[in-house]
Amino acid sequence: MEGKPIINLHNVNFYYGQTKALTDITMDFNKNRVTALIGPSGCGKSTLLRLLNRMNDLIDGTRVEGEILFAGKNIYSEDIDPVEIRKKIGMVFQKPNPFPKTIYNNIAYGPLLTWAHKKNDLDTLVEYSLRQAVLWNEVKDILHKSAMTLSGGQQQRLCIARALAMKPDVLLMDEPTSALDPISTAKIEELIEELKKHYTIIIVTHNMQQAARISDETAFFYIGKLIEYNKTEKIFTKPDVKHTEDCITGRFG
Amino acid sequence: MKWRYFRQHAFFGIVRLSALIIAAALGGLLFYIIVNGIGAISWDFITKPPTDSMTKGGIMPAIVGTIYLTVGAIAIGLPLGVVSAIYLTEYARQGRIIRIIKIGINCLAGVPSVVFGLFGLGFFVVFLKFGSSILAGSLTLGFLIMPTIIGAAEEALKAVPQTFREASLALGVSKWQTTLRIVLPAALPGILTGSILGIGRAAGETAPIMFTAAAYFTTKLPGSLFDEVMALPYHIYVLATAGTNIEQTRPLQYGTVLVLVALVLGIDLIAIVIRSYMRKQKRW
Repeated sequence: MEGKPIINLHNVNFYYGQTKALTDITMDFNKNRVTALIGPSGCGKSTLLRLLNRMNDLIDGTRVEGEILFAGKNIYSEDIDPVEIRKKIGMVFQKPNPFPKTIYNNIAYGPLLTWAHKKNDLDTLVEYSLRQAVLWNEVKDILHKSAMTLSGGQQQRLCIARALAMKPDVLLMDEPTSALDPISTAKIEELIEELKKHYTIIIVTHNMQQAARISDETAFFYIGKLIEYNKTEKIFTKPDVKHTEDCITGRFG
Repeated sequence: MKWRYFRQHAFFGIVRLSALIIAAALGGLLFYIIVNGIGAISWDFITKPPTDSMTKGGIMPAIVGTIYLTVGAIAIGLPLGVVSAIYLTEYARQGRIIRIIKIGINCLAGVPSVVFGLFGLGFFVVFLKFGSSILAGSLTLGFLIMPTIIGAAEEALKAVPQTFREASLALGVSKWQTTLRIVLPAALPGILTGSILGIGRAAGETAPIMFTAAAYFTTKLPGSLFDEVMALPYHIYVLATAGTNIEQTRPLQYGTVLVLVALVLGIDLIAIVIRSYMRKQKRW
């Protein structure tokens, strides 16, 4: 596949205790593309996603083998602080998880604690991030209300805005629409389309149509292995592997 | 059909009765204290020191002393307890050593208060040469209430959804900032519940302060942390067992008990108001 890779995986194995969750994954993620990770439940796609910003570090007894390079540097090397990695590689979760703070403070929280300290800068940043997440018009008059008063779809866009406020290079999305209604889902999908101009997006999804609609490249996983990785059109029209076809046509999954 | 309804009613009846007995016990206790103690309460009683070998006059130094000791105990027990709980739930790798520490904390909660008193006497009063003082008493009471606070704080921290921690960490915010800014505020209402229980114990305990802080009689208010103070529970104990005229001072004893109960309820009320205010802001 042509494109400029931003993340490279070389022979990555991953273990939860004694259980091997990922086997020998080698793949590149291209810059300013939307890459979808698909596969049946428990195939390791979410695990892989969480490896990319070292969120699996939070789980005791996990182990990584192989190399994961971000902008040429191994993010699992000893001298790398995971906190720095997470600033560059943001994440949006399956269930909207805004903080029990105001809308404004949800966005300002990360930058305030890391680099932005001036009130003016923060105001600009909050507006910029909310506009990017196409939420500004809905919340500009209620910025100082609790984020918990928003609807599920709005909360998820708030979470996206919160991640964008850190000005990351890569945005990881772990089934970001699985808890949302169809209209909110459509809004998030449009948003992803828009965001790929500025960010690299890697999205885990259970929804095959969604993967087909929004992604440029698709990777199919099965029991911890990368089965097929190619342009989305190719995967969804004439996949090389029979297994992939069975999955995307809904024969199992 | 009838039989089933009967059983249901019988069961509800028992449950209601149990609740009623508890409410009645508390109500009866309060009623008894108020009826017997209200007569002794006057402005002079709460603003003047005792006179005539503590058979007349007020209990002002004891009120002040108890407030100092309670605030001191909270000032020591709360931060230590919360920090310990944070370590145990957020930082420590869960394993055998942590389990043993937790068992130890639970055992500490069950240690009789007089043992804490003797420990305070041996360690703070004698070994560290604090003497019988507010400092020694507050430290002893602080350690006494710490297990309660650790327990409540641990539960409160565990109840904070993991998704909050993940959301914050995923932004590239460090772990301790996450704990400080996200986890701790969300857990505060629960931590306050533990503190309320602690306040009640710290204000009401007699044995731990008997050897470490409480003065039998003093008219002057403490000038420093190293002064002895009178305290309400100890004052009650003294009047009721070793006073110069036990029978004659009965009304004073009840009055003092009433003041102690009112004081504890008052401090609790402040904590409860703060807690309900915080709870209103949390919704998830």
